Amino acid sequence: MTVESFLALLGWGTLVGIDLVSLPQMMIARPIVAGTVAGAILGDFETGLKLGVVFELLQYDILPVGAVRYPEYGPATVAAVATAHAAVGALGLGLGAVVGLVTGLVGGITMHLMRRINSRIVNGASVALESGDPQVLLRLHVGGILRDGARAALVTALGLALAWTVPPHIIGVLTPRGEMLLAVAAIAAALAAGAAGTLRLVGRGPNLAWFAAGLGGGIVAATWLR
Amino acid sequence: MAEVTPRFGRALLRLFAVQGSYNYERMLGLGVGCAEEPLLRGLPADGETSPYRAAVARGAHFFNAHPYLAGLAVGAAARAEHDGAPPELIERLRAALCGPLGSIGDRLIWAGWLPLLSGLTLAAISLGAGWTAVVGFLVVYNIGHVALRWWALSEGWKHGVRVASALHHPILQRGAALAGPAMACAVGAALPLTAQYLAAPLGAWARVVLSAAAVAGFLAIRWLPGRLTGLRLALGFAGAALVVGWVWL
Repeated sequence: MTVESFLALLGWGTLVGIDLVSLPQMMIARPIVAGTVAGAILGDFETGLKLGVVFELLQYDILPVGAVRYPEYGPATVAAVATAHAAVGALGLGLGAVVGLVTGLVGGITMHLMRRINSRIVNGASVALESGDPQVLLRLHVGGILRDGARAALVTALGLALAWTVPPHIIGVLTPRGEMLLAVAAIAAALAAGAAGTLRLVGRGPNLAWFAAGLGGGIVAATWLR
Repeated sequence: MAEVTPRFGRALLRLFAVQGSYNYERMLGLGVGCAEEPLLRGLPADGETSPYRAAVARGAHFFNAHPYLAGLAVGAAARAEHDGAPPELIERLRAALCGPLGSIGDRLIWAGWLPLLSGLTLAAISLGAGWTAVVGFLVVYNIGHVALRWWALSEGWKHGVRVASALHHPILQRGAALAGPAMACAVGAALPLTAQYLAAPLGAWARVVLSAAAVAGFLAIRWLPGRLTGLRLALGFAGAALVVGWVWL
């Protein structure tokens, strides 16, 4: 990975991390978008799409309602694509997924910590807020956005550092079958999480029939196109 | 009806950052207050206890709802302030809107519009559409996203304290009713297509292992809801694969 690529991925991962919650929630934080653009930055669309699909399926396991805690898969997908680009083939997909999962886990923890820090800051400024001073309100709000930006940059930097350092330690350690098995594990978990998360959304009501109809159609299309 | 002020656009822009200072103390409160502030500028603002300052302080109180629909509360509360509604009524209005706006928004967007388009995108990529499917997803999703934010703010401003009537608008009611089945069908179709796309480079034995592991993982998540998440399953599978791949294969 060149310095230019690293900086571009860092910038992209930061934007992706901010988009998830803070600004503007236009869904560049969705793994399928984050991964594709990361792939484009590295000149490797196919890897970006593949890992984007894997993490998009994992994202179905998450329903971001209320103050629920969840992993952050946007910057994670950027790190995953960078890792996979460094270690091509089946190992790339599996190793990329592992780096992405760790990055996503850390991202989720940092979001929770940042919300606690925000709570403390807002609590400390409650008297000023109750005075109705718009400058205080604006300063606190912009401070929150800047903190989220710094957090997203740190998480992305961590993911990219892993993408830089992990592949050399793994390449050559696993046999080709072991590399394939790692990719299989990532894909299987993604499919399982995607299916389980979707069924949780669908529930047991009338939508279940629509899900079954879609599933049937998808199986027919997949079989026909094989 | 009060005329829409030029600051309506500024309020809409600020709504895109409504969750910017998300915290466990006031949730979206500060973001809602920031978005509402431009709409309050017509209120008398002389002195420390002016109606403008009191309204700004109220606007930043606790609020929680779906971010795309928060504009409904922003517009309604600002309009109520201009109409001279009692402060207690405005506080009650904000509190009463939290639940419905959260519930409708979650059903319409997080459990409808977003997974529907995501499922269609996954299916399109699996069928060979490539990055154009991703561009299509972004464009179509955000047409709905921006339109909903604008609609929510303008409806809130239009109705003021009678904003509850906007919650019965066909956009929300029929949209949520249609999005559910469409989402279920789209993601249902996407799953096998995606499985085939991801498994394409795998050999026969790997496909067998993949099928068995995916079914086992699915059942495990269903049997241990809340305890076994997709992330934990994936980390567990990856850890097991690394150990097996290193020691045995």
